[in-house]
Amino acid sequence: MTRLAITINGRALPPTEVRDDLSMNDFLREVLGMTGTKFGCGAAQCLSCAIIVDNPDGSSYTSPTCVVPAASFDGKAIRTVEGHAKNGELSALQKAFIAHFAFQCGYCTAGFLNEAQVLLERLAKTPVARAQLEQSIADALDGHICRCTGYIKYHEAVRDVILADPKRYLA
Amino acid sequence: MRTETRFKILVSAAALALSGLTGYAASQTPEHTLASPDSFASISDTEARSAAIFTELGKVLTHPRCTNCHPAGDRPRQTDASRLHQPPVTRGADGHGSETMRCSICHGNATFEPGRMPGHPEWHLAPREMAWEGKTIAEICAQISDPARNGGRKVEDLIHHIGEDTLVGWAWHPGFGRSPAPGTQKEAGALVEAWVKTGAACRAK
Amino acid sequence: MRPSRREFVKWVTASGIALSLSRLGAAEPSGFPARANLPGRGNFNPAANGAGRIDGVAKVTGAKLYTSDFRAADLPGWPSATSHAILVRAPDATHVYLGMDLARLDGATKPSVVVTAENLAKIGTRVPEFYTGDLFCPVGKTPLYMGQPVALLIFEQFDAFDAARLALRDGTFVKFGEETGPVAVDNYTSLRFTRVAGPTPDSADVYSPVQAGWVSPGRIQNTALPVWSSFAKETQAPYGKAAVYGEQIRAELDPKNPSLLMLDRTFETQSVDPVFLEPECGLGWYNKKNEGLELVLGVQSPYEAAESIAFLLGQARAPFKPARINTQFTYLGGAFGGRDHTPFVLYVALAAMFFPGKPVRLAHDRYQQFQGGIKRHAIKMHSRIGVDRATGKILAFAADHVLDGGGLANYSPTVATVAAAASIGIYDVPKVDVTTVAVHTRGVTAGSMRGYGTLQTMTALEVLIDEAAAALPLNPIEFRRRNALKQNGRTMMGNRYIVSVRTPEILDKLEMHPIWRQRAEEKARLQHSGVLVGTGVACVGKDYGSGGDCSLGRVELGADGKISIHGDHVEMGNGVGTALANRVALHLGGVADEVSVSRIDSYDALGLVTSGDSYAMDQKTQDALEKNPRWVPAISAPTSASIGAHVGTHASAEAAKVIFRYGLWPAALELWRIPSSDIRAKDFAKASWKDGQLTLPGLPPLALPVLAAAAHARNLVTGAIAHGFSRWAWSRARFRFGGEQFRGEIDALAVRRGGGKFDRLDRVSVLFPPTNNNRIGTSYTSMCGTLVRVEIERKTGALRIAKAYSVFECGQPLVPEVVRGQAQGGFAMGVGYALLEHLPPYEGGPGNGQWNLGQYLVARGSDLPLRDLEIEMLPPLTPDEPPKGMAEVVMIPVVPAILNAIFDATGRRFQSLPVTPAMLKGAIA
Repeated sequence: MTRLAITINGRALPPTEVRDDLSMNDFLREVLGMTGTKFGCGAAQCLSCAIIVDNPDGSSYTSPTCVVPAASFDGKAIRTVEGHAKNGELSALQKAFIAHFAFQCGYCTAGFLNEAQVLLERLAKTPVARAQLEQSIADALDGHICRCTGYIKYHEAVRDVILADPKRYLA
Repeated sequence: MRTETRFKILVSAAALALSGLTGYAASQTPEHTLASPDSFASISDTEARSAAIFTELGKVLTHPRCTNCHPAGDRPRQTDASRLHQPPVTRGADGHGSETMRCSICHGNATFEPGRMPGHPEWHLAPREMAWEGKTIAEICAQISDPARNGGRKVEDLIHHIGEDTLVGWAWHPGFGRSPAPGTQKEAGALVEAWVKTGAACRAK
Repeated sequence: MRPSRREFVKWVTASGIALSLSRLGAAEPSGFPARANLPGRGNFNPAANGAGRIDGVAKVTGAKLYTSDFRAADLPGWPSATSHAILVRAPDATHVYLGMDLARLDGATKPSVVVTAENLAKIGTRVPEFYTGDLFCPVGKTPLYMGQPVALLIFEQFDAFDAARLALRDGTFVKFGEETGPVAVDNYTSLRFTRVAGPTPDSADVYSPVQAGWVSPGRIQNTALPVWSSFAKETQAPYGKAAVYGEQIRAELDPKNPSLLMLDRTFETQSVDPVFLEPECGLGWYNKKNEGLELVLGVQSPYEAAESIAFLLGQARAPFKPARINTQFTYLGGAFGGRDHTPFVLYVALAAMFFPGKPVRLAHDRYQQFQGGIKRHAIKMHSRIGVDRATGKILAFAADHVLDGGGLANYSPTVATVAAAASIGIYDVPKVDVTTVAVHTRGVTAGSMRGYGTLQTMTALEVLIDEAAAALPLNPIEFRRRNALKQNGRTMMGNRYIVSVRTPEILDKLEMHPIWRQRAEEKARLQHSGVLVGTGVACVGKDYGSGGDCSLGRVELGADGKISIHGDHVEMGNGVGTALANRVALHLGGVADEVSVSRIDSYDALGLVTSGDSYAMDQKTQDALEKNPRWVPAISAPTSASIGAHVGTHASAEAAKVIFRYGLWPAALELWRIPSSDIRAKDFAKASWKDGQLTLPGLPPLALPVLAAAAHARNLVTGAIAHGFSRWAWSRARFRFGGEQFRGEIDALAVRRGGGKFDRLDRVSVLFPPTNNNRIGTSYTSMCGTLVRVEIERKTGALRIAKAYSVFECGQPLVPEVVRGQAQGGFAMGVGYALLEHLPPYEGGPGNGQWNLGQYLVARGSDLPLRDLEIEMLPPLTPDEPPKGMAEVVMIPVVPAILNAIFDATGRRFQSLPVTPAMLKGAIA
């Protein structure tokens, strides 16, 4: 058993005892009822289960939750899809996904949102040249499987959010 | 027997055992054990004995548990069938993955059984110069003895690396769905030690 | 959490169980929109200005939408704790099943309840005919198929369940004894389709399936394959007649005939998994107090699921027979056919009944989904085509199909039929003879999956066509053009299409496209760089509709002009909710801000009754039954067969027309002060909506809220509920409105006036499509053509799709961006099918429970030409052309186009799928 202290979407959860073999995915979905993070394969292949982990140094990365124990998130700060909108206002990415009809069944969408959000934040710190943009997006999103859309509209939505604010994201 | 053939037999034996045909668990075969250094005593020529000991060690070095992370290219392999790693991941600048897909994101400090996810604090790819995939025992022997290609090690250092390093040690306790390397890490270490003590000889080919 | 309203409709099934069905109405904790109706009153509706899908906000905020999101605690009235079940499956089908190693589950991992075949036998469950086969393999029998369930284990606590599933995963928990070999079962269907055209295009056929009926051979050999020969003893009419014509056609396909190009080829396709991202899941709770079984399910066939569960428990002994079953249906995380008539729902119901009083969740993980989920049929097709060398016209085609149906029959009979009916694709062939048999094997069950058999047969065909063109030789597009079926040509079943046939336009687009025109120069450009370049083309038509489609729709207009819609079709990514809103908007001038899908309740007022099997009924029976004004051939049918637009929105569109005609139009006439005697009073067809206002030339525009208020105030029609049935044509009926009659493409109607309640209008007369239509393969079709340019690296065989172009037509696209997205997704799925996806049959295949997405590869972004895929949608042929189905057709031509491009690049024509880099490397070497 591990005493898990974790911050989710800016809120520190009261420390909870978790079994060492409880997956992070089950912790979110079964224990907390936060089902915005999905379960697709349980083998880190599809990343429907991916969430954002925020490092103390300000950097962030996405992590699957299906193949890692909840205990390994002790002391960490994470963001899930439920935390993207602030006070009912959708994020730029959320709006773009809607406007571009980027998803169909929507089951992979949380993972894509998290990944794209981390990409935006990374580009804001380390912009890329316009000519590299599409490849940067493709590299970032390639770990995510979508069975409905063929990916194109997801990529276009992310690209358009970046192109709408080139000073921030592009070199 | 050529290394490749033995490698293939090892791989196919393991694959057969684990294909879940009728759900039988992986069984021990002679291929999955390691002979002790003593069993080579009958070879009087020291150099030949040394090379023979290394060939026995080759059963470990050419096992998927080792070759999967000593790939020829920039992408690891996985499973007893040594298929290309899925999801697609790449070596990156430091062998620990690309900027967005670090090995440690999925591969934690220890194997997580419920996720069938292998783990170790140092999970990463061996450098390109230490690639063994597709090489013969003789070629691996030459490579592993060469400080330019083995991370600047003396052959004596290999006794610790193979016999005691915990990342290498994972190969003998890989978790569900993966066959362990032959023998035990201790036995492998003993073979390395015996090989070194007999002059660390390599076969010509 | 505040519960939202739920509506119930009750009817009593033959077994005496009262069925009620309602929409999942759980509200979210504050901060999330309500799920009952999306997007919900007062909430941002992305569809309002075409700016997005109606379910857009819910899907980007992680709101609870899918069955797998819900736990008992989310559901009003349910006990709050959720228990969990494991469906244990047999990973072997050639040895006797001896039982389970239950001893290894003790202490913390001990299940609270174990349900086996023995339990079911004791309580008297019945397996619905569609799912014939033991629900659990009994001890002492060899499993019927790999992955056949043997037991349900129910764990009260999640932790016990979590630990137990770890102990079960290596497959040794299920014990086996002596080897018996696989269980032999009769084939699921065997049919022969033969057509001999008359001498001219206008003359009647000499012989066809539509004329003579569908035929099956009477004799089966010991090998479980039919005896196709007409001269076998005991072969009777009508099969014998078809066989005689068929044998003649085959005799004429003579390789020694110099004037005929005859190609004889065998093409094999592989088993694949739909891989919808949300594994199958269900929640059940048997409420002992009121003997009510509560279920939450996500399926494409909600009505069928409810009825099947009622049948399952209909004669069970107390306390296993519920008095009522209430099923709630959710959004789906993808489906592609795999959630249409899935046996999974039966096990959810059983889990609940065997753990009374406590909610139970049954969910597949991905290993189990591969092991137990519906697959696409692997088909082996032996085809022969005969082309007149002088004219380039296809004279005859013969084929023999063998489908691997896997362990249960499921949809095999109809997949085999639809596959056969598509075996000549877009072409006009005067002599056709196709035999098909779907066999039982010990593999995983195959059923409905996007394309429904036509993907396989049209891939084989378009590869064959390409080879024929090269052999003649004739330009491949010109060859297709010469042989394309014309608008009033007859299909191989012998009927004509009743929708547009736009093959010539598609072929022209393909021929003019740069990818096609530049193929030679592109090939030459990279000639010396170690890369082989090839270009391929393919053109197909896919039927849409099932011959037994139903549409239920309920549209309501508030006094404030707000529109709400209930429809019975299912949202699985297809955007049916948005399509509903957009189609109704065509008639009512505004986009609904409340759309509720998967509703199979809400239509109570129609009082529908049904009986018999609409697919098998004879005309006399139908004529007698239809005299009851409430009888319909079927009430609700699965959402599948590309029918979301064409069928799913149909009843709501008709309901909206009624509201317009008898609500908004009279209100407009009043506001415009046009008396009923005025000639313009009948001009409702001339009025049109512009920016939410109704306009008629010469009169001031009237805004929808104004009209709605007037309609309410004057007690005009402000709501309508309609039902439609299509057997390759819509039912039509007349209804009396005051002094006049309304004719609609529906068979049942109820209306609401002002703020009142819905009242049924009995139909005055009805015209159901004739039962003979069941002989039609399809009457609806949409076309799609694809061009692909591939680059193959000589050294490794690695293939890259450099550029691609897909052009198709779908009548009126209700939500163009959803249609485009479907085309892109269909392309991706086609790439996976052609190059990546493969499931070995039997041992080594997914039935062993060890398959996941690391081993089964689906297309990722890096496998696709993300910036080089051009999609073109032809505009509707006429402004009022109804929507057509397109979600399947857009997946199909990409597969043979890739194979044809590979031939162009390498000179090697592959006759099986998938084509992997290893195979390519071998071909180039």
